[in-house]
Amino acid sequence: MPWRLLRFALNKKHPEPRMFTFHEKLKASYDVVIIGGGGHGLSAAYYLAREHGITNVCVLEKGYIGGGNTGRNTTIIRSNYLTPEGVQFYDESVRLWQDLSEDFDLNLFYANRGHFTLAHTDSALRTMRWRAEVNKHYGVASEVVGPEVVKEAAPMIDITCAGHSPILGALYHAPGSVARHDAVAWGYGRGADQRGVEIHQQTEVLGIDVEGGKVKGVRTSKGYISTGKVLCAVAGSTPRILKMVDVKSPIYIHPLQAMVSEPVKPWLDPILVSGSLHVYISQSARGELVMGASLDPYELHGTRSTLDFVEGLTSHMLEMFPFLSNVKVMRQWAGMADMTPDFAPVMGKTPVDGFYLDSGWGTWGFKATPVCGKTMAHTIATDTAHPLITGFSLDRFRNYALTGEKGAASVGH
Amino acid sequence: MPANALAVSPVADIATLPDPSAQKAAVAKLGIADQSLTPRHGCKGPGAAAWLESLGLPIPPQPNSWLPVDGGGLIARLGFTEFLVEGPATLIARLANTPRSAGVYPVLRQDVALLLGGAKLDELLRQTCNVNFRPLDLATRPVVLTSMVGVGVTVIPELRNGQPAVRIWGDGSYGHYLWETLLDIAVELGGGAVAPHSFN
Amino acid sequence: MKIMTCPLNGPRPVSEFHYWGEVRPMPNPATASDDAWADYVFNRNGAPGLKKEWWCHTPSNTWFIAERDTEKDVVLKTYFYEGDQ
Ligand SMILES: Cc1cc2nc3c(=O)[nH]c(=O)nc-3n(C[C@H](O)[C@H](O)[C@H](O)COP(=O)(O)OP(=O)(O)OC[C@H]3O[C@@H](n4cnc5c(N)ncnc54)[C@H](O)[C@@H]3O)c2cc1C
Repeated sequence: MPWRLLRFALNKKHPEPRMFTFHEKLKASYDVVIIGGGGHGLSAAYYLAREHGITNVCVLEKGYIGGGNTGRNTTIIRSNYLTPEGVQFYDESVRLWQDLSEDFDLNLFYANRGHFTLAHTDSALRTMRWRAEVNKHYGVASEVVGPEVVKEAAPMIDITCAGHSPILGALYHAPGSVARHDAVAWGYGRGADQRGVEIHQQTEVLGIDVEGGKVKGVRTSKGYISTGKVLCAVAGSTPRILKMVDVKSPIYIHPLQAMVSEPVKPWLDPILVSGSLHVYISQSARGELVMGASLDPYELHGTRSTLDFVEGLTSHMLEMFPFLSNVKVMRQWAGMADMTPDFAPVMGKTPVDGFYLDSGWGTWGFKATPVCGKTMAHTIATDTAHPLITGFSLDRFRNYALTGEKGAASVGH
Repeated sequence: MPANALAVSPVADIATLPDPSAQKAAVAKLGIADQSLTPRHGCKGPGAAAWLESLGLPIPPQPNSWLPVDGGGLIARLGFTEFLVEGPATLIARLANTPRSAGVYPVLRQDVALLLGGAKLDELLRQTCNVNFRPLDLATRPVVLTSMVGVGVTVIPELRNGQPAVRIWGDGSYGHYLWETLLDIAVELGGGAVAPHSFN
Repeated sequence: MKIMTCPLNGPRPVSEFHYWGEVRPMPNPATASDDAWADYVFNRNGAPGLKKEWWCHTPSNTWFIAERDTEKDVVLKTYFYEGDQ
């Protein structure tokens, strides 16, 4: 009976439990302050509490949780990267994802779809062969397949791409998946909250006090906090925070845009990425086509979206799927991507004692949310970089020891 | 086949012409002609202007402008120090065979070169290019470097038989795409492919 | 559509341009320490602000400087490079 249902809903005796506690005020001090209530910050808070018993922690978010890139990304999860460091790290993340819904008791709609990176040139095919070999060496399911396999997995595809750039083959990665992005932030947030972590939304970090090379405290829009440990997990705002502690980095910010179509009947199961056409596509559980392209062409610290992007993306998408010409675009948006010269992240300790960095996640960091939280929590708790992230340290640049992931990350996020 | 010209037009295999009466009808609305085989020469560098002058060519004083060449043809100044010369085979051969002086570098010109004109030209330009050609003063002989349907092009606007026309040069490897796209639009507007002399 | 004004070709849509990052003085590679050189090669002034940047108008290959607010995406002025000052 709808009437009874309504009465039930309005009855104060059965309030819907909040996902996490609202805290009126900040405490004067915390053991750890986490800047950024995206998936990464919340995940680090969760593992700090769950695995290291550190619960006197606050997460400061200037807007609302998941409102940054966590809630703006196209949710592709995969581990078929190019460097040994990358492959091992992302593989661990994919493993964590698989149990996360149960961990949280929250449905993340983690859907294993399979992921194809299409090759339209011989050189692309060679990079894919290389990636497949590195992947297999580390036990990650990854293989080069012919165009007929692509056609079978996505029968609507024009395998010649309008005759301009025929598909010669693909890198197929069976574990490729998608998940509900906001649920990830909320799941980690609730889990951290239940273990005693405080989440403060609408609280912006304005400055960080450093004395004698050590973190002393954090100035926020809601008052001062003293703390000896700060984790910076702010994606597109990383350079602003680094300026507060006077640490130089190669991170630069370009917007990354994406869009979705109106919902249509399910017709596309796998995730498809084309590096040559600079586009990728998957179909969400609601039927929307989630589509994206490569990075915007110039630095910008804002989230405006452009018609140029829609024009470029759709023209290439129609080469692959001509029948989409009747489908309407519903929404488009952008996030600020924190890019690095080698397309690998910047994680771990920094020249400032007690200041930890989880950044440089550019266009590819959603999939890493669980493993970043886990490894950063370890790094903060023990003040030593977790073994999985030593290849991503900030000083790799000073040492000219880059971790080149461009071949696996520039279009396929 | 004139010396120092392309052996084949980049659009040779697709730029086929309908019969003359159809061409006549098309050119009034919007004709599109392939001129890729016209001989041309490109050079650039700090010494380019002086070298071309020493060979008797007029030098357009303003960047992005052009001048006619005695005996036929034109010289276009692309930016500050780059030039495109088009004209009779003897002129182009002379440029190609005279040793270049210091500070003059050759520019390979394997253009797809098109001529478009007719009453509906502006409608085509508005769909394909971001530059508004109408306010340009043709008496100043402007050269416009822009992009058209995504391809970098050099454009000279002019009048042919009282009708607006443009000459377009672009990278020959985009020839098919450029020709097909522009021809499609021309046909929609009631025009079509014509021979270059249709504009005379 | 975003308009950028090339000092030679005039106002054009930004899609006709290529962005090449902030203008940065290069240390002398023969005398710079490894650290100073790495700093030049990799580190960037990543925070938003008013920056002098290299841009190129691609159809004409014209390089020039744009002064741009990278937070608001407002171009304040454009001009030709006049050498290191
Ligand atoms: C369009 C798009 C598509 C993408 N697609 C994929 C994909 O398919 N797969 C993939 O793996 N990755 C993808 N990514 C990348 C991925 O979204 C990010 O790397 C990841 O979400 C980063 O998470 P985060 O928690 O570090 O940052 P965010 O979610 O951005 O969280 C940072 C938070 O910090 C807050 N903050 C900033 N400054 C302050 C301050 N001074 N004080 C307090 N709070 C502050 C912000 O408000 C924000 O909420 C995509 C990104 C975009 C933009």
